Amino acid sequence: MYSNLIITAVYLVLMFGAGIFFSRNIKSTSDYFLAGRSAPWFWIMGAVWATNIGFLHGYLAHGGAAYEWGLIQANFEWFQGPFGYILTGLFFIAFYWRAGIYTVPQFLERRYGNGIRTIYALAWIFIFLVTIAAELYLGGMFLKNILHIPFWPTVFVLTGVVGTYMLLGGLGAAIMMEFVQFVIMMLGTMPLLFILLKMVGGFKGITTTLIGQWGASAQYFSVLPDIHHPYGPGPWVILGQCLVVTIGWCAGHQSMVQRNLGARSLYDAKLGYVVASIPKTLGAFLYIVPMIAAPIVFSRMGIFVEKSDAAYGKLILNLLPQGMLGLFIAGLLSAGLSSIGSVLNSASTMIVKDIYERFFVKGQSDHHYFVAGRVATFGVIIASLLLVPVVLKVYLIMWLEQLLLAMVLGPFMAVLVLAIFWPRANTPGSLVGFLTGGVFAVLLQQVFGVDIFFQISWWSFVVTLAVTVVASLLTPPPKKEKTAGLTWQSNFEVLVGEVVEDRALTKAVQVGEIQQRTIVLPPWYLNIKYWATAILAVQVVLLLFFG
Amino acid sequence: MSHGNPSANPKLIVAVQMLCIGMVLLVLGLVVVLRSPVKSMSPLFRTWSILSNGAIVLAGIVFTIGGIVRYRRLH
Repeated sequence: MYSNLIITAVYLVLMFGAGIFFSRNIKSTSDYFLAGRSAPWFWIMGAVWATNIGFLHGYLAHGGAAYEWGLIQANFEWFQGPFGYILTGLFFIAFYWRAGIYTVPQFLERRYGNGIRTIYALAWIFIFLVTIAAELYLGGMFLKNILHIPFWPTVFVLTGVVGTYMLLGGLGAAIMMEFVQFVIMMLGTMPLLFILLKMVGGFKGITTTLIGQWGASAQYFSVLPDIHHPYGPGPWVILGQCLVVTIGWCAGHQSMVQRNLGARSLYDAKLGYVVASIPKTLGAFLYIVPMIAAPIVFSRMGIFVEKSDAAYGKLILNLLPQGMLGLFIAGLLSAGLSSIGSVLNSASTMIVKDIYERFFVKGQSDHHYFVAGRVATFGVIIASLLLVPVVLKVYLIMWLEQLLLAMVLGPFMAVLVLAIFWPRANTPGSLVGFLTGGVFAVLLQQVFGVDIFFQISWWSFVVTLAVTVVASLLTPPPKKEKTAGLTWQSNFEVLVGEVVEDRALTKAVQVGEIQQRTIVLPPWYLNIKYWATAILAVQVVLLLFFG
Repeated sequence: MSHGNPSANPKLIVAVQMLCIGMVLLVLGLVVVLRSPVKSMSPLFRTWSILSNGAIVLAGIVFTIGGIVRYRRLH
């Protein structure tokens, strides 16, 4: 027991110390909010994945759902996630970069105007506060159950560690810690898969026991079950989850996008996002596949699990020896801390850039907003701590978070797609479409009783798309300078313009010294298209086996 | 109009990040090695414990050296 406690304590002290040591290099708002635009692609890869994995979206909740519902839970890792990462990396990130923004709402403002930016920012700030509180609650309960240490001191220690390095170091510290957490999760918790597979006789042993002896449905081993599946009907997973929610999450979630905006170049941002789908795919082997084997191990050990969310914790607690368990605790804490840190950083960025700088104090020095960023981070920590006691006890708050996500992601995807691919989309059209889509999502849930999240997102996406198109056509088109550089078409024009200008300079009479353009191509093994193709091929193979 | 603070050197930021990552992984890996009763573990757990801890320590060494090299190049 003491070994596990010591390892956990050492891990937290190291994170705390590293954060303080790193923060001495942070000097400006660009350093604080965008890590001085210094991160190479492999930092981005680790940070994006670690941001995505937490207690809520990872080991405990996803692992628990896999324990209950089977391999369908892997569709996040083998299907939607990589698809969303690759598509966002290849298409959307470039537009954010060219717009020179700090936040996703800022992009919406550049393209559409103020109103939509404020609504989107406020919705996400609320979602972030609830997310941090929920992660802290789950982290505190996890350590309480596994190490038998009191809940509140644990929550304060977790908040103190992650709060300190985020408060002082900003995005640079977050990315650094997320990479550490990425390594610990990958190398530290992967052995559970091999240990369990050895114990239950491999994949064949799992299927033989669960289907052959226990009479489990074959759908338990399907990533895309049929339309009657109560948890995740296959067609809705593809339409709502894959095409709307996942891409909306990858392209519209400030924490995911902000890591890419902190990259040292657009190429690093794109490659980092694309290759992050590799750890995303491997994530299923960390907490999905082991939890499918877990029922067999539990039955052999005579362990009863009351709540599926507690299954992963019970498994490692009863199975792993001292030391190894300590490393697993550090791995799980890594998942939680990386999520808390990234959301904390994003919430403070949005508060300063989307609210404070626009509505309260305009035109101040860089140092002023740098300090404001730290104050905002502190404020978010306090607000989240205050939410911890109520977040999972008061049904209304979690309901509101789910409702906001359903309201935000569908309409956001619709206005983002139109923003980039349809220059005719304008300010009134997007605002009316966004609000109508959001209200429609609420009506679907509250009046029509639709409770499958994917369906709500899909239909709110469709309604937003239709209303935005109609409303835009009924109102004057946006001015060309408003869309310049922000749409697919305008970027193409800019590129053509550059090439024509270059040719004119080189072929026509030269009036002065022309600077030689040198384009450095990346080596073949860092080619984004090769990586994207290879990863998508792996997803196809996985779907053919488990679809 | 914002007056910009001088930003840190991006290469320095990456060097310090590498150094910090390396040190955290190295120290954590070594503490886990020291606190793990490897001899009393069953062969299955012993093998995976050694592989897992070894990989973390190795990653720690690589990042620490990488960070030091990058840091010294800048000074």
